[in-house]
Amino acid sequence: MLESARSRVKAWAIAGIGTAAAIAVAGLLGAFEARHQALAALAPSSQVDTGEWLVRPLKAYVSAEKHVYGTLLKPGGKALVLELEMTNRTAKSTKDYFELLQAGPTPVDPATKPFIVLTRDSTMSPELHPGMPERMAYIWQLPDGAAPPANFGLTVIRKTYKLRDNLYGLPGWFNPAPIGTLTMPVGAGPDAPDLQP
Amino acid sequence: MMRRLANILLLLVAVAFCYGLQLSKPHYGDLIGPIPARGKLGDTIVGRGFEARAEKVEFARNLRTDRFGETEILTTGGVWAVVTVKFAARAQSTVVSIASWRGPTGLTYDQTERLSFANDLLPVPIDPGLPRKARLVFELRPDQVSNATLLISEKLLAALDSQAEISLGPIAVGADGMPAGTVDTFDMTQPL
Repeated sequence: MLESARSRVKAWAIAGIGTAAAIAVAGLLGAFEARHQALAALAPSSQVDTGEWLVRPLKAYVSAEKHVYGTLLKPGGKALVLELEMTNRTAKSTKDYFELLQAGPTPVDPATKPFIVLTRDSTMSPELHPGMPERMAYIWQLPDGAAPPANFGLTVIRKTYKLRDNLYGLPGWFNPAPIGTLTMPVGAGPDAPDLQP
Repeated sequence: MMRRLANILLLLVAVAFCYGLQLSKPHYGDLIGPIPARGKLGDTIVGRGFEARAEKVEFARNLRTDRFGETEILTTGGVWAVVTVKFAARAQSTVVSIASWRGPTGLTYDQTERLSFANDLLPVPIDPGLPRKARLVFELRPDQVSNATLLISEKLLAALDSQAEISLGPIAVGADGMPAGTVDTFDMTQPL
């Protein structure tokens, strides 16, 4: 009886020491720091590598036109337009750019989905082809009555390549994670000049 | 002593053998991939459900199309490639919907999505005994034009189904970096 109690205490002690050691090693390796690091601030005129895409912001402006690059706005609504140059870095044509940029928190709610348009001929979200830079416009509808902001914040999202995913064993881009934040100055209108690197 | 050494040696050989088996094992993606039916430009390529014959490849800097009665010029940052292909169904009616252009370095260009309103593009429904032609339109980098392969299949994930692989052969490049014979504007409204 006493013997078994003593061995039980010994087992508990060993298990506790093991757990403490594991947590200490994880802490030393930096497991608890990653989530507290603030996102890097990216320069608005820089080219950002998100894994799948090379993204270079060109300009942002607010438009009150009825049609912006062929997309119809709500009557009386305004749109926040971000034009950028996007290059597909992968080996296949893809349109995996819907999660690339997250606007907000002001003036656009981060849950608002933008229209994404090829500015060349206003095609709505076409596939972009490997190694061919294209000018694209992200168009967010501003909330009713919102004043045009002087600048707006964006979070750029990266994805990671996996040669074989766990479900189908096929290659793909997974695990979206933020790279950094961008603050774009908002110009007066579509005629504003492009940002120069 | 000798016996123990022999055992260790045997173990190492077994480890190496198993590692080799693991490396050479085909992956799931390879096992359920499309089944290629290969050929050249001008050959009739026979797959399970359809036959395809690539007749000609043309290059252009711009495309002219009609959208709702208005003429529209589509520009590109690279070069447009227009492939005329004759399709025929084999035993039953089917639809051929997917084509891509694999360049010499393996970059794969899907058909353009900027022309959805034009006629004679994929997807084409085909019926046995009624062959028909279609145009496959790609937007390419000029350095991906020569020695390319055209991949045509009925469905997007052509798992365990035929995929026509048509090698298009070398294409001369002009002084401006564009393929030889590139026209300024290709008229998509002209009948096939």
